Amino acid sequence: MSKKHWQSFGELNNSDAYKQSVKDEFREDLPMEAADNGFLEGKTPRRDFLKYLGFSTAAAAVAASCEMPVKKAIPFANKPEDIVPGIANYYATTYVQDGDAVSVIAKVRDGRPIKIEGNDLSPITNGGTSARVQASVLDLYDTSRLRFPLIDNKEVKLEDIDKAVAAGLATAGNIVVLTSTVVSPSSKEVIAQFLAKYSGSKHVTFDAVSYSGILQANEASYGKRTIPSYRFDKAKTIVSIGADFLGTWLSPVEFAKQYAVGKRIDEKKPEMSKHFHFETVASLTGSNADERILHRPSETGSVVAALLAAVNGQAVSGLDDKLKKGIEKVAKALVATKGESLVVAGSNDVNVQILVNAINEALQANGTTIDWSATYNTRQGIDADMVKLVADMKAGTVGGLIIYGANPAYAWFNSKEFVEALKKVKVTVSFNTKADETTQLCKYVIPDHNYLESWGDAEIKTGYYSFVQPTIYPLFKTRQWQDSLLKWSGATTDYLAFLKTYWSGKVGGETGWDKVLQDGVINPAAAVITTASFNAAAVAGASAAISSYKKSDKIELVLYQKVAIGEGQGTANPWLQELPDPVSKATWDNYLVISPALAKTLLKIDLSVGGEADAYEVQPPKHVVEITAANGAKVSLPTLIIPGTHPSTVGIAVGYGRTEKLGKGVLADEGGKGMGANAFPFASLVNGTVAYSVADVTLKDTGDLYKVAITQTHNIYDTPQGNRTEVMKELTLAEFKHNPNEILEERDKELKPYGGIANFEKEGTIYPTFDRPGIKWGMSVDLNTCNGCGACVVACNAENNIPVVGKIQVAKAHEMHWLRIDRYYTGDPENPNVVFQPLMCQHCDNAPCENVCPVAATNHSSEGLNQMTYNRCIGTRYCANNCPYKVRRFNWLDYTGADSFGDNQQPLVDEGGLNEVVLDMNDDLTRMVLNPDVTVRARGVIEKCSFCAQRLQASKLTAKKDSRPLEDRDLKVACQQACPTNAIVFGNANSEKSEITTVRKANEKRLFLSLEQLHVLPNVTYMAKVRNIEEEGEHHGAEHKGEEKKEDAKVEHAGH
Amino acid sequence: MHLKYESQLREPLVTGDKNYHQVTEDILAPIEGKPTKLWYVGFYIAVALLLFGVYSVYREVTYGIGQWNLNKTIGWGWDITNFVWWVGIGHAGTLISAILLLFRQGWRTGVNRAAEAMTIFAVMCAGQFPIFHMGRVWMAFFVLPYPNSRGPLWVNFNSPLLWDVFAISTYFTVSLLFWYSGLIPDFATVRDRAKTKLRKHLYGLAAFGWTGSTKHWQRIESLHLVLAGLSTPLVLSVHTIVSFDFATSVIPGWHTTIFPPYFVAGAVFSGFAMVQSLMIIVRKVFGLQDYITLGHIEAMNKVIVTTGSIVGVAYLTELFMGWYSQSKYEGYTFWYSRANLFSPYGWSYWGMMACNVLSPQIFWFKKMRRNLFVTFFMSIIVNVGMWFERFVIIVTSLYRDYLPSSWSVYYSPSIWEIGFYLGTFGLFFTCFFLFAKYFPVIAVAEIKYVLKTTGNNYKDDMAEVEAQKLDEFVHDYAH
Repeated sequence: MSKKHWQSFGELNNSDAYKQSVKDEFREDLPMEAADNGFLEGKTPRRDFLKYLGFSTAAAAVAASCEMPVKKAIPFANKPEDIVPGIANYYATTYVQDGDAVSVIAKVRDGRPIKIEGNDLSPITNGGTSARVQASVLDLYDTSRLRFPLIDNKEVKLEDIDKAVAAGLATAGNIVVLTSTVVSPSSKEVIAQFLAKYSGSKHVTFDAVSYSGILQANEASYGKRTIPSYRFDKAKTIVSIGADFLGTWLSPVEFAKQYAVGKRIDEKKPEMSKHFHFETVASLTGSNADERILHRPSETGSVVAALLAAVNGQAVSGLDDKLKKGIEKVAKALVATKGESLVVAGSNDVNVQILVNAINEALQANGTTIDWSATYNTRQGIDADMVKLVADMKAGTVGGLIIYGANPAYAWFNSKEFVEALKKVKVTVSFNTKADETTQLCKYVIPDHNYLESWGDAEIKTGYYSFVQPTIYPLFKTRQWQDSLLKWSGATTDYLAFLKTYWSGKVGGETGWDKVLQDGVINPAAAVITTASFNAAAVAGASAAISSYKKSDKIELVLYQKVAIGEGQGTANPWLQELPDPVSKATWDNYLVISPALAKTLLKIDLSVGGEADAYEVQPPKHVVEITAANGAKVSLPTLIIPGTHPSTVGIAVGYGRTEKLGKGVLADEGGKGMGANAFPFASLVNGTVAYSVADVTLKDTGDLYKVAITQTHNIYDTPQGNRTEVMKELTLAEFKHNPNEILEERDKELKPYGGIANFEKEGTIYPTFDRPGIKWGMSVDLNTCNGCGACVVACNAENNIPVVGKIQVAKAHEMHWLRIDRYYTGDPENPNVVFQPLMCQHCDNAPCENVCPVAATNHSSEGLNQMTYNRCIGTRYCANNCPYKVRRFNWLDYTGADSFGDNQQPLVDEGGLNEVVLDMNDDLTRMVLNPDVTVRARGVIEKCSFCAQRLQASKLTAKKDSRPLEDRDLKVACQQACPTNAIVFGNANSEKSEITTVRKANEKRLFLSLEQLHVLPNVTYMAKVRNIEEEGEHHGAEHKGEEKKEDAKVEHAGH
Repeated sequence: MHLKYESQLREPLVTGDKNYHQVTEDILAPIEGKPTKLWYVGFYIAVALLLFGVYSVYREVTYGIGQWNLNKTIGWGWDITNFVWWVGIGHAGTLISAILLLFRQGWRTGVNRAAEAMTIFAVMCAGQFPIFHMGRVWMAFFVLPYPNSRGPLWVNFNSPLLWDVFAISTYFTVSLLFWYSGLIPDFATVRDRAKTKLRKHLYGLAAFGWTGSTKHWQRIESLHLVLAGLSTPLVLSVHTIVSFDFATSVIPGWHTTIFPPYFVAGAVFSGFAMVQSLMIIVRKVFGLQDYITLGHIEAMNKVIVTTGSIVGVAYLTELFMGWYSQSKYEGYTFWYSRANLFSPYGWSYWGMMACNVLSPQIFWFKKMRRNLFVTFFMSIIVNVGMWFERFVIIVTSLYRDYLPSSWSVYYSPSIWEIGFYLGTFGLFFTCFFLFAKYFPVIAVAEIKYVLKTTGNNYKDDMAEVEAQKLDEFVHDYAH
């Protein structure tokens, strides 16, 4: 037997324990028992494991979900018939604000209006809009709107306020209904009913910027206290004396459209209207004029008188030589086109307007370019009424004041007096959407609907009706002001019923009513231009009065309106505040406008010295100047040097320095101060009407600096190294007539090294070229009809969800506009020619941005679009650097609240790096204005004009559904649709039938591509600006001539 | 090769009659000793800067690039200026290591280790800028060409920025390998002399089991040659490709064919200047005057004056072309935006001219080349000048390009832009201080190569030979 190896004594001795252990499955005890003992008695016994697991999972889930924002997307339980998610409805309505009225179509998506378009059926505006109309949809969602009725600033119920007001009015005594101009005939009826109920009551109309002068002058001259229709489209010679009719005067959308008729050029028969503009401070209209003549505000009377004399063939006297020559020239032109001439004046002086009437009479404008068949209802305020009202209030004879639309506590020249007088009125009621300066002083406040929530009508001109219908259920506890008045006058019907009754008889019952609501407008059958009989009696008196006016030799001040802000309607609208002013390109502030000549003496800045001009341009902080007038008005404002301003005149825009209750976000500046200053206190009452100028102001450089957010700092395309005519092309009508091919020749010369125009595409590159079949989107912009008004810019904001970045960010040149309007000066720096160039992504076929993106986030579509893929963009900004047009915009900060990083706006607002307005714009309420078809871009990505890709897709679908090729009628891009002058044409450039092809062919000789020589092959074509001046152009002709001479010399040389 | 005869006319590369042991002792002293107070002060300052940089970047990433003062016209400013500047600095190391190795320039041994370290740290700093200048840095991986679930979506191989990604990452990898492979024998030396276990263990890991066998030496020598061969074209290609970021664009001032050579020369120029700044400090602080001699410094100053003049010629050529091309746009950029002292950024152009072109001319004088103070001062000036050059190229081209309407307001950096830049200084010096403390700042093994052929001892030995007559020499050596 072999030796046995033993491992333990147990094995050796073969003990019992050993035997047992061999039998057992595990030789040693598993360490189970010990654990088993306490398992069920333990704090967390085994059997409870699932309980604990369940609880902790649920707890974690609950805890986690607490952090999650709750976003509701609730489907309709009962879907309204006409609301289809994703499909927009369009309602015809009317933009009405302080007497301005424009027929519009509201685009409603999923029950909320998101975009305003012009109503094509209105013959007045014909589908045109203005920046203010475009921006008005944002006012609906304004976070600072009044949300409930107030008594003494405390929330009350409507019934309570009705009771209180009824009780108050019953014992108040004389009641006055103070409104801005009411264009609604039915509302006038409502007011009449109200007035009838309370004896001794009356209606006073107050317009912030008064047209009293022209109304009274027309009463004197024609016996009608109204304003006739002007026909700028019929006028061959247009003379404006300080009337900014393309920007702010009376009916700018309509006038812009008419004006464009005379400016549009037929290449085969090049003729244009001629526009002379007399002005004191550079305006949008003056910038568009063929010739601008500068004068002092105190000379306005003399200028008009002299023009009357000159038109009548008499001698001009009492003016300096330059002005005299100008007037003689203007008169000559006017007389030459007698019957096709038109003179308008912006002055609020009755005497001046009477003389203007006399001039028009002498030019046979009455009945040709001035049409009395339809007169404007949009301005009705008479200053004397307001003066009397304030006096009455002061005297205590006004017991109740009901205010709608008017804001004299801000806009009346003597607002202090008004505020004092208001304290003596027992019952003060305000209907307003916001707590403006006057509303704050009223005891009773019943918030009014926004126009997009309202019913109503408007008679813009006699016989031209436009209807207002709600596009959304009222957002807040508001009530339409007419309803309140009806209630208080004891009527049992509400305003809608009243309106229907008022109209159903006139339009033919319910069907007719439905039809007018659908159309939005009723137009008179046929417009025949009629005259009014002229009464010359007042002319002599007016002339005499004017000859006694004192001429100032001091610095004079003019108050003017900005295109976007107006009398203050646009102040609380972030889109409008951020719209660069067409003239100054400044945003968010008002400022003192001074001429380059005055800058030299006042600020010691000489813009003709390169270094000083550079320093002025590149530094946003501007000198703050204190302006003091004899009447005690005093403000300190930054100064901007604006060429085209009279050397002895300065200007301040009204509409600023508003109460923060209109929107703290919009109005607060970097330091939390209000933006700008109120200029209305500088106005004064002269001869019974309000004069918006001061003949003598003192200017004092305070030595302080203040940042002004300007989007364009350099204004000329001429450089010491050469005139950049590749950027912009302009010429005079004379040159164009003389050589219609001038632009073509110039282009050909520029492209000569690369094969000339014909072969440029192929020979300008070393790479192969491609065919571009199918659709090829293209745009064309006519620089002759573009007047720079900015409607397209705001339309683009609204359509494409372009964020508002606030003043601080604009000052850092971080504005996000996809479409901007470049403004260039040429010629005399004191009184330059101006050209506007709308610039959006040029959708280059050989785009320099595309090849530099490392991740291919921007690329080219088969339809010629330069596309941006936001999801793919990592934000290197190389594309923006390499874009010669600088149209690409980067999301520098979280402007939209769409960032994946939370809470990165408030801290910046707190430390002053971002304006509160960005938070306002990201409020849930404001975000209702967003277009659901367009991505809201997050921080860190580049964005730019997409040619409204969403609209292009929709149009292709429309055509596809109808099984036909795409046609022009299928689409309009937002800027094109907004443009009142149809300067922008868009469509498929590969289609022979499309408008874009037609327009490009018809304007071949004016056509150019900006920076064509770079061979980026843009898809946006421009048509050169043609100015109707006899003299050869300042730069163009001169340069051309010079070159010709040089070439001649060469030839001669060769000959020898 | 190292037995080549060294002329008496050429000064020795290692002075002070060192023997092999002394070399090891001298160079490893900082590693084996305790850091000085000065080291701590410097290190903490560097870390503080780094932390400020980290916070600046944190703000930029959280709130957006809007924390900087770039704008719609100037899309790149300090960020890319600093990127190019750091990449430029990162050139000298590889140039010294690779190209000078191939050209058998013995004097490189004194400075190559530190120069390579500097290269690596500089490239690390440079890399921060293109990464963090992105609006959405968390999507930075989009620049990598990897198979993805986004369909056929690929990176854009046309984009110079993508070329940058490859160029910089390749350059960094190769430089790192080159540097590290040189460190291996030295790490082994530190390991072998280690007195604590931890030290032995860590340096042992770093030394990859180096034993100093002939086979090891043979392999590492081959590896060096291969890497030198690889790096040489990289030295030229990296900055060439960086210059393509500008040269391939359409912007006047960027769109220039002269850029590749001009950028490479500029990079070598600034890289050498940075090596000078650092070496002058290092040799002083660690007492390494015997290894980094005035001869080294003079040699580098010669490179500086040469490349500085090349850069100067490039500037003048640009100006000439600005006029000769008769392009209004080029003309404006070069003659108005830059050469005009009274234009808004004229100061930066003339700052560049003064620092890069005029002041290095002082190195035509031997006295100046060998003056430590002048050299140090000039090395700073050159790097300031080279920073201006990149700023001039980027900002003065962008801020007034084609459309006068879009000409920019004056751009000056925000505190967070400056913070980011300072942060990279922090990163650089933190790394450099750690390097100086834990790594042999001079290649011990390589110094020992040259010690024999150019050390003082050897020279003394050779003096006898030097004095010999030819037939005696032949007699003695012709076995």
